[in-house]
Amino acid sequence: MATLESLPRPNGGVTPWKVRSRSVSIIIVLASAIPAAITFGIQKALQVPGPIALLLIFLPIQLVSSWIAAAATRGRRGIADASLNVVVLFATTFVSIMLGSVLYSVINWGLKAISPHFIYQNNVYVTTTTSLDYGGAGHALLGSFLVVGLATVVAVPLGIAVAVYLTETRGRFRSPVRFFAQAMSGLPSIVSGLFIYAVFMASGISRPAGWLASAALVLLMLPTIIRMSEEVLKLVPGDLRSAALALGAPQRRAFFLVIFPAAKTGLITAILLGLARVVGETAPLLVTTRVNANTNVNPFSGDISTLPTYIFSYLTAGFDTGNARAWAAALMLLSVVAMIFAATRMLSNQK
Amino acid sequence: MDVQASNLTTSLLDRESHLEARNIHVWFKERHVLSDVSLQFPANSVTALIGPSGCGKSTFLRTLNRMHELIPGAGLAGTIYLDNEDIYAPGVDPVSIRLRVGMVFQKPNPFPTMTIKGNVLAGLRLSNRRTRDENELVESCLNRASIWNEVKDRLDAPAGSLSGGQQQRLCIARSLALAPDILLMDEPCSALDPGSTRRIEETIRELSADMTVVIVTHNMQQAQRVSDQTAFFLAEEGQPGHVVEFGNTDNLFSAPNDPRTEDYVNGRFG
Repeated sequence: MATLESLPRPNGGVTPWKVRSRSVSIIIVLASAIPAAITFGIQKALQVPGPIALLLIFLPIQLVSSWIAAAATRGRRGIADASLNVVVLFATTFVSIMLGSVLYSVINWGLKAISPHFIYQNNVYVTTTTSLDYGGAGHALLGSFLVVGLATVVAVPLGIAVAVYLTETRGRFRSPVRFFAQAMSGLPSIVSGLFIYAVFMASGISRPAGWLASAALVLLMLPTIIRMSEEVLKLVPGDLRSAALALGAPQRRAFFLVIFPAAKTGLITAILLGLARVVGETAPLLVTTRVNANTNVNPFSGDISTLPTYIFSYLTAGFDTGNARAWAAALMLLSVVAMIFAATRMLSNQK
Repeated sequence: MDVQASNLTTSLLDRESHLEARNIHVWFKERHVLSDVSLQFPANSVTALIGPSGCGKSTFLRTLNRMHELIPGAGLAGTIYLDNEDIYAPGVDPVSIRLRVGMVFQKPNPFPTMTIKGNVLAGLRLSNRRTRDENELVESCLNRASIWNEVKDRLDAPAGSLSGGQQQRLCIARSLALAPDILLMDEPCSALDPGSTRRIEETIRELSADMTVVIVTHNMQQAQRVSDQTAFFLAEEGQPGHVVEFGNTDNLFSAPNDPRTEDYVNGRFG
């Protein structure tokens, strides 16, 4: 009996579809190397900035070179395929470079001022001449947690309740509610801040305070949470609803005992995405709160700093250590967002 | 509506309920899909509903426990009597009907977030009722659905870990836990292998000792094996579905009155 080893094998071993002839391999290597070399030469000679060289010189040359290579190896149909491959690869690289450079600058500048005490100390004794060894953005971190936390406590039950209305009932107002939720997701954040300003501050009801910022953030979180939760609840198979109702469950119990548990991880993801949407919002906070160098644990009264407003105030203050502090706070903010997304990924992979 | 365990057990044994559909018409929006269906389901009988796809068998089945009305655009005329009471009469709570008329669906649909045991007890939790001895109820229901021996050592495993055939028998056990008088089954074996199908057919025969069963099936042999009486549904081109022939299963298969029934049961169309 023939063993597996003794059976005749194609050149590529067990992945015959990956086998290329030598001439095709050479063409592919040339088609990639020549445009890179030409671009490098032109860039050196003319001193064009990198991104422009990448987009205006490398992309067209690489496209033409891929066309030629594709035409030589696969004929006419290969040309369209090669063009799309090149364009998609370029778009991906371009976006990756942009995101990477944002991350790089925040981490690079942020690390210069960040330290353990920066994370928990407040800013009371900090002046333009204070060294980076003193003071921090701890009060702003706490303020962000308070403001965003308060907004979450209000927006989550409200948002999920609306999503349940949209998916689980046959209410008459479903389509207008869905329409408004969708329209609200386009609401510019500054408008939401100004709305709260007009209602509560211009009318004299309240001085600037954390809860006003929370109210503005609620307006921004709601559409995200509603739409995400609606999608998640729609994914719960209709079979399960029918099964629960056929067992004589009133709709309320069917929801809490069957549908909600099935949608739980998805709903948590929706909440976290709603959080990530607003944790870095700056404009509504600038309108509704005033920065405070000291720690304020009461979001209902007094000035309160948050990470975004802390960053904004130091970036616009115009002195070197201030800039450094702003970058460090930006790194903190970025880390918080990264943690939220990491939690989202972990939860959604958990299924 | 707090039913005690004793009531649950006695109702399994004593109560005999019969179901009757009189002049049922069904619409979806403007479309008339079922016309003038009148069938009687005597206590402890097994009735098979057969017919080609799209002739309204499943739709009719769903009118019997008021699941029909959950479909948007659904309409209904006619009367369904459960022990001589109209289940569509104003003021009748559909929940109370569904507690007495259980249903098993075509696709096994155990609750994925619950354990095997949790699924059996789900009906009680969902209808907010208690039983004196949960373990006893779980064992007896799983036994009656002939799945107890396969799952008795892993009652706390998630329901999704069972095979398709086992899931379907779990769904049957889940319906039995509520001690329904009537059990509706919508092609319960269509997604199962022959072995699981045979187990479920045996289960149906055993259940009919104290329960009225209505089963939709595409399998002629299955209808002959499990049912006492058979209704043949048909929807002719552009016409709403209706019952062509209804009667004793043996007669309907061996000596049908209508040529269309004869053609269908002999596999000449559908």
